[in-house]
Amino acid sequence: MDLFTLWLWPLVALIALPAILVYFGLHVVGRGIIFVDLALAQIAALGIATAVLLGAHPDHGVLPYALAIGFTLAGAALFSLTRFRHPRVPQEAIIGIIYIVAAAAATLVLSRTAAGDEEIKNLLVGNILLVSRSEVLRTLALYLAVGALHYFLRRKFHLLSFDTEEAERQGMSIRLWDFLFYATFGLVVTSFVRIAGVYLVFSYLIVPAVCGALLSSRTAARLAIGWGVALTAGVTGLLLSTQWQSMDLPTGPTIVCLFGGFLILSGATAFGRSRRASKSAS
Amino acid sequence: MKPNLRGSLALFAATLLSATAPASAALKVVATTSEYGALAAEIGGDRVTVTTIAKPTEDPHFVDARPSQIVAMNRADILIEGGAELEIGWLPPLLDGARNAKILAGAPGRVVASAGVQLLDIPLAADRSQGDTHVAGNPHFMLDPVNSRIVVEHIARVFEAHDPAGAATFDSNVASFEVRLDAKLKEWSAALAPFAGRQIVTYHPTWRYFSRRFGLEANTFLEPKPGIPPSPPHLARVMEKMRAENIRVLLVEPYQPRKTAEAVAAHNNALVVDVCQFPGAIPGTSTYLELIDIVVRRVAQALAAQS
Repeated sequence: MDLFTLWLWPLVALIALPAILVYFGLHVVGRGIIFVDLALAQIAALGIATAVLLGAHPDHGVLPYALAIGFTLAGAALFSLTRFRHPRVPQEAIIGIIYIVAAAAATLVLSRTAAGDEEIKNLLVGNILLVSRSEVLRTLALYLAVGALHYFLRRKFHLLSFDTEEAERQGMSIRLWDFLFYATFGLVVTSFVRIAGVYLVFSYLIVPAVCGALLSSRTAARLAIGWGVALTAGVTGLLLSTQWQSMDLPTGPTIVCLFGGFLILSGATAFGRSRRASKSAS
Repeated sequence: MKPNLRGSLALFAATLLSATAPASAALKVVATTSEYGALAAEIGGDRVTVTTIAKPTEDPHFVDARPSQIVAMNRADILIEGGAELEIGWLPPLLDGARNAKILAGAPGRVVASAGVQLLDIPLAADRSQGDTHVAGNPHFMLDPVNSRIVVEHIARVFEAHDPAGAATFDSNVASFEVRLDAKLKEWSAALAPFAGRQIVTYHPTWRYFSRRFGLEANTFLEPKPGIPPSPPHLARVMEKMRAENIRVLLVEPYQPRKTAEAVAAHNNALVVDVCQFPGAIPGTSTYLELIDIVVRRVAQALAAQS
């Protein structure tokens, strides 16, 4: 059994890390800003590209890391400033624009440097199979800190995402709280992309939250369903890809496809339930 | 009861181990890319089982890890890599994941093929201003077939150290390979001799060793710097040069953008020739010699058609 020797740290990562992504997913889906995670990851990439332009090696040193965080915080400020009360322009459009401009700007910056585009991509987009012990522990510490902050301020963040009018009535500064939300979200997303890649981060954010929304209207139940889906899909995916050796499936895509299966299952359950409900009503 | 149970468990485990022992008698060899895999199989014969990490159609600079690759490296007795930083982007994390001391850098199970090979394009200043330049030199040395002799002898020495009983087999396989190589070398040199001094354009500096061996010149690249995608002004300069110096053959590999190559070639009615540095990418090239054979034939045909 090589599960606990070769695949121990991927397993720990898939059990411990996604919980906070599922939580953020509820907010992101509730706000209707599905692609904000990709935009923040791209802004962090622009930060690393800029560090390379300034002469840093993308792989080590403080500068790339500092600029990645700095750019992520700037992105968080940008997103908190572009949320309007009566939107003439949907925020998703602005997120899309920020994503594509950040991606293009990173290409421009890299064309001025000697490092290849792929080098930065490799650095930003990890493979869950190759995650190391120190990466898992470092990321877990960050997630625990962010998780604790969100746990103590959960009422505020809930109002912020789901009942903005009430939040304003209570005198919360929407822009300031939004900045805090996007800043912590950006740190979580960027570090998970580094470990597991873009596909997995997107799946962990969106699919469990959508499954929860399909099956329940209560936040706590949605969170519980989301955690169950995330844990099952992640661990099953890792087991399938590592233990079913004749198939040799790449791990990330296997997990993403399992998520797709869970979504279909949740959709079918919700559909069956609503039919039964309408039958008994008539 | 307890000691008894433990005893029978130990017996059971021993039976399992002894049952798997004959299967593990063959040396387990992992090769990063398929030319080393093919050569290892040729030299080792039945005494080795070979696993190749990168697919022959995959860019050797970038390889995405799959579970089987880590398992294979975990169980390997010997790892053969090209070296000269070709696999620097993906081999170290795979090795971290594989946790196998037998194949770590400097261990007796590690074969660095570039050791003992005279490398080209070693930068004078080891900075990164020249793109993804490999500081150790150009790592595509296996495309000079003469270098394959150094590499097979290196592989055979390491095989013998791990499996002394197989020494005679390995030596005779090396001898047989070298006889075929020498015969082919004469054929290849003859096929390309009429085109001595002719220039070809390539996407990446992959074919520098190949062209030097056979008297061609492959010093014009679609990439402005190794690993940097072509920019429009650079492509314009390449097209200008192709027109001015009448260069009409352009080599492209499976993982390089063929559309870019075709667009550049179209300006000077040049031929785009599909080649690859790895056995298996082109049908009918399961061995190293078959691969070089097809590349030589395709390049000679294209140069002849453009004369």
